[in-house]
Parts: sequence; structure tokens; C-alpha cells
Amino acid sequence: MLRTSIAQGPAPTIYLAGEMDLDCADTLREVVTEAARGAQMIALDFGDVAFIDSSGTGIFVRLCLDLKSQGTPLVARNLSPAVRGVFEMLRVRDLVGDDVFPD
Amino acid sequence: MPDQPQDAPVSLQVFRYSADSDRLEAIIGDVGADLPREDLIARARESLEHETFMCYTVSEPDTLVADELCFVPQGDRCDVISISTSGWQRHHGDHRRSLVEILNNLAAAVACGKLRILDREEVRDQAAAGAEVLHFDIATTADLQQARDAVDEVLREAGLDDINQQRTILCISEAATNMLLHGGGRGEMTLRRLDDRIRVVVADQGSGLSFLNWIEPPAKGGQASMGYGYKIILDYLDAVGLHTGPSGTTLLLDRMTD
Repeated sequence: MLRTSIAQGPAPTIYLAGEMDLDCADTLREVVTEAARGAQMIALDFGDVAFIDSSGTGIFVRLCLDLKSQGTPLVARNLSPAVRGVFEMLRVRDLVGDDVFPD
Repeated sequence: MPDQPQDAPVSLQVFRYSADSDRLEAIIGDVGADLPREDLIARARESLEHETFMCYTVSEPDTLVADELCFVPQGDRCDVISISTSGWQRHHGDHRRSLVEILNNLAAAVACGKLRILDREEVRDQAAAGAEVLHFDIATTADLQQARDAVDEVLREAGLDDINQQRTILCISEAATNMLLHGGGRGEMTLRRLDDRIRVVVADQGSGLSFLNWIEPPAKGGQASMGYGYKIILDYLDAVGLHTGPSGTTLLLDRMTD
């Protein structure tokens, strides 16, 4: 199960924890959509994500591309080893662009 | 492919030529009346004789139709992988993998011995090998999460290092997610211990692996498959077996333990 918490501000950070699989789509989309209202940009912190699969990755990629097209850039920070490994394998950087990974 | 319309944008069929019986049989899909059976048998014999992988591409520029045929020699038999596609459907134009890329990935995995396409008898025997350690009915993502945790514990006890343990968990999650999305929405996962490996069997009674549903967004969450599940499974596991047909799909996911 994916758990989220948020640090508000003009560039809010959403802290993700737990598991990102098929189940996380609704949770993630809702929290990101809410945070995106009036925000200049959004940061997702993956530091406590213990597990992610291609479904969770697909949901992240879709959100990135949707937000980019709406003019609210999304950045990914503090990737846990599990997330880093899967993102590298699936070449997520190529799909969403280098600017999503400022670190 | 089961339930696949004739004008399907892409299809995968696998045939098997046996030198002993001199026969060509369908392992995935059907041996249609228009199949150039004699030609396929001649090339399969050639592949076996030279013990060499052979691949042919036949394309029709006007219709954008293309066929790829791969002959993979395996001792006294030759697996023939046939991929047909309409050119205009080759890529979605977004972040998902193209169907041809997915199917070529499968063909390459068969060619290098990582993926075994299994017939009904083979899958029955290999899915029953060794001793059963865990068994789960999977119908929801919550079931899958429970299964992941339990398998994780067995893998740790078996002494797998962190990387192999994480990758194995990822692969079984990919296989079970495919089952939930495309395999009738439910199925079973069994972990078995063999002498030299751990085998996770993921089996459903859906209508068979259809590559068409990989380009349609499933209703749940509105999230389309990216088409990466099989790539992860084939890249990260030591050996994979696949049987699919109108009465279901079974995947054997092997992690060596010695």
C-alpha cells in the first residue's frame, strides 16, 4: 500500500512511502492533482518507497507527462535503491526527460 | 491467438517441428490451412542440421504488413516463432513499448534459451516439479501484496542476496499483475522448491495471452500497460517457461539457488 504526506508551499513536496504497484494509481493521482492546484511545480520524494513495479512506474510516467502538458513541472527526488533500479531498467529518464531528475 | 480477430494488428504464433516424428505442431495459436507447412518444415530441418538460429523477414511495403519468422534449434526439435504485424500499428506514439519490440524480445529470449515455450504436457510436468512451499489464490492487489511478503520471506531463508531477492519479487509481481489485468482477473501463485532452484508458478484460466490487450488501456485506474512486464521477467530471472492457450496461461519463474 502507498502512503503519502505533503509539505505544502508554492512548490509542494509529496513524500511517498510503502509500495507502488497497480493499487497506487488512484491514491497518487488524487494527491498529486490536489497538490498541483496553484502550484508552480511539484516534487515527489521516493525515499521511503520500498517496492515499485512497472505498473507503479507507468502511473508515475503518465502523471509526469500529464502535468508537463498542463504547465506544472514535476520533479522526482531522493530515489530509494528499489526505485532507482527499476527506473534505470525501464529508462524512465528517456521517457519523461532529464529535467524530472534534478538531483 | 485465441479470440483474436483475423485483422489483428499483431499476432504471435509458435510452432514446433519434431525431427523424430517429422511433424509440425502449434504450441501457441493454430496451424491454419494457409500455413506454408512444407516450407516451414524445410527451414526447420535446415536450422536443426546446421544447429543454427535463423530469422527471416517478409514485408509488403504497400500494405505495411510484415512477417518475421525465427527458427530456434533445440536438439531434436525446432521452435518456429512467427510474428505478424501491420506496420501502422507498430508504435503507439507514446511512452509504451511497441508491440513488435515486445514480441521480438520474446523471440530473442527463446533463441538464447532464457524462455521455454511449453506445450500442455510439459507445463503440467514442470509446474508440478519439486515440493510445494507456498500457495495463494490471487484475485486482488491486496492478495498480491500478501503473496509478495510471504515469498520474500522464503527467498531470504533460501539465502538469496538482496539484489536477486528484490528482482525475483519484482518479477512475480509483474506476472501476477498481468494475470489480474489480462488473465481473467484472478489465478493462483505457487512457490515450489527444486534441488537447484526456486520456482514460482503463476497460472490463470483466462482466455490466453493476447497481445492485443497490451495496447488497450484496462479499465482499472485507466492505466495502460507499458508493455514492460515481460521485459523485466525475461531480463531478471534465470529461466522462464510459458504456456498459453484458450484455457489459460501459466508462467514458470525460476531463480537458481546454487
